[in-house]
Amino acid sequence: MKRTFLGSTVLAAGLLGASAIALEQGPFTIDQSRAGRALYVANCAACHGPELKGAGEAPPLAGTTFIAAWGNRSSDELYNLVKASMPYGNGNSLDPDTYRKIVAYVLAANGAQPGSKALTGSESIKINTIADGKTPAAMAAEERAPARGGEGGAPRAATFYPQTRFGLTVAGTLPNYDPVTDAMLAHPKDGDWLMYRRNYQGWSHSPLSQINASNVKGLQLAWSWAMNDGGAAQVTPIVHDGIMFLSNTANTVQALDAKTGELIWENRIGPAPTRAYGATRSLALYGDKVFVPTTDAKLYALDAKTGQIVWQSVIEDAKEGYSNTGGAIAIRGKILVGLTYCNRYETKHCFISAYDANTGKVAWRFKTIALKGEPGGDTWNNLADEFRQGAETWIAGTYDPDLNTTYWGTAQSKPWTRASRASGAGATLYANSTLALDPDSGKLKWYYSHAPGENFDLDEVFERVLVDHGASKDVLTIGKVGVLWKLNRVTGQYEDSAQTVFQNVFDKIDPKTGIPTYRKDVQAAKIGDWISSCPGPAGGHDWPATSYDPKTDLMVIPLHQSCVMMRAEPMEKKIGVGGDAGSQKLFEMPGTDGNLGKLAAYNTTTMKALWSFQQKAPFLTGVLTTDGGVGFVGDFDRRVRAFETATGRTLWQTRLPTSAQGHIVSYAVDGKQYIAIESGLGGGSPVGKPTTLLPGIHHPNNGNTILVFALPENLNGN
Amino acid sequence: MRRVGICILALLAIAPAFSPAWGESFETRLSPSPLTDGTRINITGEGRALVQWDGNILSVSGNFTGLATGVTTAALYDGAGIGIPGPKAFDLTVSPGTAGTIWASIKLTSSQLKDLRAGHFYVQIDSEKAPDGNLTGWLLPPYPFAGEDVPVAGPGFLPQFDVPQKASSR
Repeated sequence: MKRTFLGSTVLAAGLLGASAIALEQGPFTIDQSRAGRALYVANCAACHGPELKGAGEAPPLAGTTFIAAWGNRSSDELYNLVKASMPYGNGNSLDPDTYRKIVAYVLAANGAQPGSKALTGSESIKINTIADGKTPAAMAAEERAPARGGEGGAPRAATFYPQTRFGLTVAGTLPNYDPVTDAMLAHPKDGDWLMYRRNYQGWSHSPLSQINASNVKGLQLAWSWAMNDGGAAQVTPIVHDGIMFLSNTANTVQALDAKTGELIWENRIGPAPTRAYGATRSLALYGDKVFVPTTDAKLYALDAKTGQIVWQSVIEDAKEGYSNTGGAIAIRGKILVGLTYCNRYETKHCFISAYDANTGKVAWRFKTIALKGEPGGDTWNNLADEFRQGAETWIAGTYDPDLNTTYWGTAQSKPWTRASRASGAGATLYANSTLALDPDSGKLKWYYSHAPGENFDLDEVFERVLVDHGASKDVLTIGKVGVLWKLNRVTGQYEDSAQTVFQNVFDKIDPKTGIPTYRKDVQAAKIGDWISSCPGPAGGHDWPATSYDPKTDLMVIPLHQSCVMMRAEPMEKKIGVGGDAGSQKLFEMPGTDGNLGKLAAYNTTTMKALWSFQQKAPFLTGVLTTDGGVGFVGDFDRRVRAFETATGRTLWQTRLPTSAQGHIVSYAVDGKQYIAIESGLGGGSPVGKPTTLLPGIHHPNNGNTILVFALPENLNGN
Repeated sequence: MRRVGICILALLAIAPAFSPAWGESFETRLSPSPLTDGTRINITGEGRALVQWDGNILSVSGNFTGLATGVTTAALYDGAGIGIPGPKAFDLTVSPGTAGTIWASIKLTSSQLKDLRAGHFYVQIDSEKAPDGNLTGWLLPPYPFAGEDVPVAGPGFLPQFDVPQKASSR
């Protein structure tokens, strides 16, 4: 009955360290581990913290959680992983000796004693035979001391972010800026792209039709603009009256002439990125201001004409790890934003919040975690409030003006697995739900839990798309498990669903209620069990967003096909402890022949797929459809293509400087239609998983750029 | 004559539930798994496997190439579902080296045959530095693949719908 594939029968014994067993000497010298401290601080501490506690998506590198995850694995696997993938998004960028010293330091910080032989990286020594997760007292004191300057001193800005000054770095003025009104947001001009998904309904569809199936092959580069390198970029260019507002890394905002690419003003709000992940996906426009939710969890209002700061408001304390990546939406004089990285045990919880557009004053907060005594508070297996975490909102919501209701998705509860959370079979509200809120008060109108008691890092946080089918007002969304859900957006009642990729997480979905039943082994999983999940944490569907084409009633969905073995790790129930507490090993999705990428078009009335195609590289941009019957999408392999919306047939394609990224938009200036596409880096699991699974696909680790395409004059391009 | 026709139709209708004399086949790509960035250096290669059921014997054949270290074992495993690992069911014969072939002739129980038809069987090849899995692939009925970037009508091959599942297991 030996079950190999992952050797799961031998797990339990090695999980919790070897504290009762005498430790053997470590395979490194004291000189290596001492030098490794400075190199760790310089290259790793920005994400994993000076005390190796981990933060955000960076796991702890010391203590019981580290030993639980790594105790049964070997020192060469640790070395190979660090070398291949670190610093995040820039693996193999340091010399091997630096990696050896960093690994020696990590082992020493987990109690391993130095020996006489230097670490080479090829030693295959089980980590729990040399380390127990207990940091020596002298080393712990050094970690808590303020970082010193000089080489290996203070944590540097992540991933080669260039040194630069901050503030209003380029002054300029837009003399005739037309303030954005509620009416404009509800009925945007054809040539504008005023918000994240273009319209309040979240369609990512342009009514422009100059570029069509017969002339799209003539697209040419009109202009391009190199964006900040360093950090993650998943931009949505926002365009109003021929001005493009562009969010860059380091919370830099630029106003560009959307016809020529000429810079008008630039505000480098800062700070420099200290993490290689967590991009600002979108800005918001309202009145005469540009609203910038920053990666350090603040909301800035800039004067749209000049780029100068009008006000700033703190969403949450960034020093505790909070961030905003999901962008914002402007509704009736308020700016609504989400919050992310709420994966530490503490008395605070994640929330959606609204700010007065004129003053920045907080209007309301809606906490996305149900606490004891509150409605839904009985869905956490009686956990103390401080151990109920997650339910981040890292994608901006959508809005129905007629119903005066805003729709948001939430992420899964944290840590990832039921066993690590100790949440039993509870739904852990309001994680992985659709929330319908009153935008004036933040009051909850209804919620729908898509994945009660989720177990695999399978978010249901993504875009909520509002579509009417006759008299039925619906909201559609799709999450990482790959189920396209349709709810009545007035009542929150389940209407229908469709499976878009292979999944084995749910045994069934109740056809009347939509409530899924998890596999029995998922329900019974314990700490240390390796459990299969198809899809894995890159989805199904992830942040590269769908597009809805109202002419054809088709939703075009970028999909990802890979699987994971997930192991629940123990997480100490203690304030300040954080992380996701799950180990992952990836494998190819059965029945895909290694094609990670899939694009599929679903009719939203029938919920049936009209067409689909697969390819090796997963898609890494949101989809754009247009009234020209042409759609656009870009991928991990630097390719962007135009396809016929009705058939999926590729009509035009080109290669980009690095991987395609962010959200493709279309706009018009002086009667000419443009397509703006980002080439860039970052992207979390949708980038991380194919980096592991598709080592043959390469792209440069720099090159954040916006590229704008248009037709030449002789092809109806005016 | 009409009765004979009805009998033939009835036999055809129930035939898939029994062992068809003309054979059934299942196949898979063998891909490096399970992977992390830390194990990727040792878990390399690719291959294909084909199994054919003639109503009595299951014939397994396949090939592999590109392993980082020499092959040690190959086996058929009976998983708990498609993509869900389970216990080893049969050893396969494997030629030594970092590239080679696998083969076997196997008798199945009726329960194992149901599992095979439900997509629960997978091939796993281990190697010196990847003893818990180097190449893996789930055996599924042949399915059409139009080619990269080529649109097809509908959602494409979705094993949980396109492979008949065991009523008791899913």
